[in-house]
Amino acid sequence: MMTSMNTMADPFVEAYGELRSLLSIEGPEWLVPIREKAFQTYALAGLPTRKDEEFKYTSLRELSEQNFRFGFGANVLREDLVPLTLGTIESATVGFVNGQYAPEISTHDHLPKGTFIGPLSELPEEFAPIVEKHLTKIATLEGKLGSTNDERFVALNTAYLGDVAVVILPKSSTFGKTIHLQYVVSGESVFSTPRTLIILGENAEATVVESFATVDGHGFTCPVTEIELAPSARLEHIRYQDESAASLHVSNTFVNQAGKSVYTSSNVNFGSQVARNDINAWVDGEYCETWLNSANVGTGNQVIDNHTRIDHAKPNCQSFEVYKSILKDHAEGVFNGKIFVYEDAQKTDAKQTNQAILLSPTATMNTKPQLEIFADDVKCTHGATIGQLREDALFYLRARGVEKSKAQALLVYAFAAEVLEKIGEETVRDLLEARLFDKLA
Amino acid sequence: MLTISNLHASVEDKEILKGVNLTINPGEVHAIMGPNGSGKSTLASILAGKSDYEITEGSVDFLGHDLLELDPEERAAEGLFLAFQYPVEIPGVTNTYFLRSAINSIRKHHGEDDITPKEFMALVKEKAALMELDSSMLSRSVNEGFSGGEKKRNEIFQMAVLDPKLAVLDETDSGLDIDALKIVANGVNTLRSPERATLVITHYQRLLDYIVPDFVHVLVDGRIVKSGGKELALELEEKGYDFIKEELAAKA
Repeated sequence: MMTSMNTMADPFVEAYGELRSLLSIEGPEWLVPIREKAFQTYALAGLPTRKDEEFKYTSLRELSEQNFRFGFGANVLREDLVPLTLGTIESATVGFVNGQYAPEISTHDHLPKGTFIGPLSELPEEFAPIVEKHLTKIATLEGKLGSTNDERFVALNTAYLGDVAVVILPKSSTFGKTIHLQYVVSGESVFSTPRTLIILGENAEATVVESFATVDGHGFTCPVTEIELAPSARLEHIRYQDESAASLHVSNTFVNQAGKSVYTSSNVNFGSQVARNDINAWVDGEYCETWLNSANVGTGNQVIDNHTRIDHAKPNCQSFEVYKSILKDHAEGVFNGKIFVYEDAQKTDAKQTNQAILLSPTATMNTKPQLEIFADDVKCTHGATIGQLREDALFYLRARGVEKSKAQALLVYAFAAEVLEKIGEETVRDLLEARLFDKLA
Repeated sequence: MLTISNLHASVEDKEILKGVNLTINPGEVHAIMGPNGSGKSTLASILAGKSDYEITEGSVDFLGHDLLELDPEERAAEGLFLAFQYPVEIPGVTNTYFLRSAINSIRKHHGEDDITPKEFMALVKEKAALMELDSSMLSRSVNEGFSGGEKKRNEIFQMAVLDPKLAVLDETDSGLDIDALKIVANGVNTLRSPERATLVITHYQRLLDYIVPDFVHVLVDGRIVKSGGKELALELEEKGYDFIKEELAAKA
C-alpha cells in the first residue's frame, strides 16, 4: 500500500474526480490536456506546509480544514457592489462572481476594432489564435534561473481553469477608460480560481484594475494573471485585494516584457486572513521599465505575504520596487524580493526597497531580499527598514498643534499613501486612499 | 508675553545655552542675531518643544504658562508658532489635510467646534493669495518637492492660517532669493499687530531691512551679550560679529 508523505487531506485533489468532466466542456479543447497536466502537478505537490521554504511564514492549514467548494450560480446585483471600494467605478468592467462570468455586473461593449475586453466564453473567433498562443504559456518559470519558486497554486488554478477575463489591445492603441476586472465572492467557503489574460500589442497603452472583494461570506481565492507586453507597450496594473477577514487569497501574476515596454504594478492588500501574492516579471527585451509598488495593511491576525521576482534577462533595463507594510495587533508581514540579473543583462539598474511600520510589539515582519547577479556591469541596490515613525515629521506636525496620537495616525496613513499616490488613475487613487484611511481608523 | 529667565540648555553634556534672558511684549518685533553655533536655533527649538535638549537651569513663561512643561502641540495651541529653518517633507499628507488637522486640534484644545469646510477653504485661499502661493500647492504633499523658497513661503503661509500670538522665525531668510525674501517679509509684516509678537532669528541683517525690528539682541556663545535698537543690526552688518567679540574681550 502506498502511503503519502503528506498527511493533510487535500480537498482540491479529492474534488477533482467529480469536476473533471464538467471542466472539460469549458473553453477550447486544447485546454483539456493542459488542465490534466496541471492537476497532476498540483496533486504531486499538494498543499504547502511551513516546512516548504516559500511558505515558511504563511500557514495555509485552513485550506485542508475547511470544506472550500465552488459556489456557482450565486446572484450578485449591481447595488450589492456599491459598498465595495471600487465597486462602481467608471470603467469597462468584466465582472465575475465566485469565478463565474457575471454579465449583470459587466459593461464592455462598443469596443474598437481589434480590441477585446470580456470573458473567454464570449471571445470572437478572430482572437482565438492569440489567446491560444499565450493562455497558460506565460504563467511558468520553466527555463528561468533558480529553482526556489513554488508554482503549486499556479497549477491548482490551471487545473480548475474555467472562464477567463481577457483583455486584448492591438498595436498602437490606447484604451481611454480604466479596464476593471472585478472578482467578487458571495457565500460561505467559496473556492474560486480567477484567471486573467492581458495582451497589449506593440506601443499599446492601458490601465487595468483587478479587484478582489467579498459581497458576503468568505472564500479561498486562487487567481492567476498572465500579462504579455509587446515592444513599447505600457500597462498600469492595479491589483487591489480587500476580501473579507475570514478569506484566504493566494495569487500569482506573471508578466512578460518585450523591449521598451513599461510595466507598473500597484499591489494593494487590505483584506483576507491570509493574503499571499507572487508577482513575477520576465524582462526579456532591452530598455524596459518595471515598477513594482505595494501598500499593505494588516490588523488582527492577518498574514500578508508578498513575493516578487524580477528576471532581468536583457541589458539596459531598469526596475524599481517599493513594498510597504503597516502591521498592527498580531499581524504578520512577509516580503521576499528576488532579482535575477542574467549574464547578458549588462547595465541593469535595479532598486528594491521594503519598509514596514510595526504599530504594536506583537506585530512581526519578515523580510528577505534575494539578489542573484550574473552580469558584472550592473547597479543593484536593496534596502529594508522595519521600524516606527519619523521623529522629525512627528515633531513638525505637533509643533503645528496636531495632537500626538493624531499626528502618529496621520504619518502611518502617509507612509502607505505615498505608494497609493503613484497610481495614475485619479478616481482609483482617491478611493483607495479613503479606504486606507478607514482601514487604519 | 514671553519671559525667558536664565535659560541653560545642553545636548549630550555640551552646554549650548548659558543663561539667556529675554522679555518680549505684545506688539514687539525682536531680532536675535549671532554667528554660527551661538545657540540661536537651539533657542528656537527649545521654545517650540523639541525634546533633544536638556534644560539644566532657568524658566520660560509664555502667557502665564510654564512653557517648558507643555507638549509641543499645547504650545502651538496656546499661540506659539515656529517657522522651521528646515521645514520637513511629509510625503502622503496633503497641505490641506495637514492644516485642517492643525486648526481643528487647536480648536479642540480651546473647546471649540471643528472649522467648517467652507470657512476653511475661504481662509486658506485668502492666506495663499497673501503669500503668492499657487493654490494647486494645497493638494500637494507637505513640502514634498518644494524648492527652498517655496518651503519658507509655506511656513509663513501656515503661520498666517494658524494666526499665532508669538511667531518665532528660525533663519527664515536662509536660502531665499530677494524676491522670495520680499514675499516672506511682506507676509510677516501683514501679520504685525499690537496683540502679536515676533521673534526673528537670523544670521544676516538682510531680512531686517524688510522686517524692521524694535529690538535687536546679539547671541554669542549661548548668552545675549548686547541688545539695542534696529541700528545695532546695521552696525553688526558693517563691522561683523568680531567687533562684539572684541568688545567682550576688552571688558574681560
